Amino acid sequence: MPDTVPQNAGFMIAAYTAAAVILVGYAVLLYRRSLKP
Amino acid sequence: MADVLRHAWRLARKDLLIEFRSRTAILSAVVFTVLVLMVFNFGRDPTAVAAVDLAPSILWVTFTFAAMLALNRAFQLELENQALDGLLLAPIHRASIYLGKLVANLIFVAAVEGVGLPLFALFFNVPILPVLGPLVGVLALATVGFVAVGTLFSAMTARTRFAELLLPVLLLPFMIPPLIWAVLATAALLAGRPLSELAGWLRLLAAFDIVFVTLAFLLFPATVNE
Amino acid sequence: MKLLKTGRWITAVGLALLAGVYVRALAFTPVERFQGPAQKIFYVHVPAAWCAMLAMGLVGIGGILYLLLKDPRFDRFGEASAEVGTAFSMVMLTTGPIWAKPIWGTWWTWDARLTLTLFLFLLFLGYLLLRGAVTDPGLRARYSAVVGICGLVLLPFIHLSVYFFRTLHPEPIVLKPSAPSLPGPMLITLLFSFGVFTLLYVGFVVQRYALAELREQAEAAHA
Repeated sequence: MPDTVPQNAGFMIAAYTAAAVILVGYAVLLYRRSLKP
Repeated sequence: MADVLRHAWRLARKDLLIEFRSRTAILSAVVFTVLVLMVFNFGRDPTAVAAVDLAPSILWVTFTFAAMLALNRAFQLELENQALDGLLLAPIHRASIYLGKLVANLIFVAAVEGVGLPLFALFFNVPILPVLGPLVGVLALATVGFVAVGTLFSAMTARTRFAELLLPVLLLPFMIPPLIWAVLATAALLAGRPLSELAGWLRLLAAFDIVFVTLAFLLFPATVNE
Repeated sequence: MKLLKTGRWITAVGLALLAGVYVRALAFTPVERFQGPAQKIFYVHVPAAWCAMLAMGLVGIGGILYLLLKDPRFDRFGEASAEVGTAFSMVMLTTGPIWAKPIWGTWWTWDARLTLTLFLFLLFLGYLLLRGAVTDPGLRARYSAVVGICGLVLLPFIHLSVYFFRTLHPEPIVLKPSAPSLPGPMLITLLFSFGVFTLLYVGFVVQRYALAELREQAEAAHA
């Protein structure tokens, strides 16, 4: 049983960033497509 | 019902005769099979990797390629001289067309498997005779699975651009499950495991076949109707 | 145009709430004792998985309805849902391995979640590629419906298959993934995230559907 909590916050940041980039990126993509006639 | 079967067989016979006369596809498939078996046999280190471990995967890769060859050609045949329109105008059920194509494709792949399996046993020195029955069963179940879906999809991709590229991409998610179950079942058989261990994979293969063949029959008319 | 505006609003609200989910998950949800902060990827990965599955399910159902009723609106909806599903699948495909590495010790493993992720992505990809390759709208709609329905029917097989695989080949794992019964604060974060992701799904699909409708209207006007 570990005495300390594993130090893997880096992975958490990476995953959260990736997800945000994809979701916000898609939202931006849709918005820009709607501006083109 | 009898009509459907009769017409389907006529169609299958036509396709097989065309193939038999030109022999291009079947020869390519057989040559590829022999090539892969030889390369893998010479390429591996016999002390490091036992034939039995590698063999099932190699076997199924070659059969899948053969299936893809058959599927690519299945509806391409009908593109010349608008033969497909001729088929559609004929007073036959849509189901006959699908069944005919399916049977032709299955016979093609079975022919390649019939050549490939003994060669495979020979080159890799794997004991297939004691398990020949179940092995042929696994072969049949898996082949029906992806050829059924493949025949349905090839009806659609034949008329698109990049047909030869699109068909494998489309088919990939549908080929992988039966392929994996077949490889696992084959591996278990060759390792001499009791049949009861295979039961799960066999049931999945059978269920897949029943579901997707039925689905293909239901959906095929949508791919050719106007 | 109104539909488009509605979609944009829903998406905007969804993204704002997503920020809220992030804050809550990262700062106000307790860290799991044995898995560490990486466990929190769960709060993004699982709702994304739910949305991708929902998207696929609706593509399939849209396909069935199109074939039965021949209403092009179902086809338009399928197109929208497939594209949105692809986006959520990409979230799954990136967060999945990033989550697997610290928890399972390896970037990839053929467990239920990751395998399903890959297949969903491949199915969406095939669906969209097929649509791209067919120019005639009626043909495209029928073909898409066929592939969508097949994709939907494939999903239970993938699930069953992974289940069988696992019972025969138990995976040695570094740490056990989250237990089904979550303590209160974690459960609330997860549910909040589910809600927000679903809202984003709706916003995206509405926008994408509206775009498809506008494009068709423009093409009809030019014809």
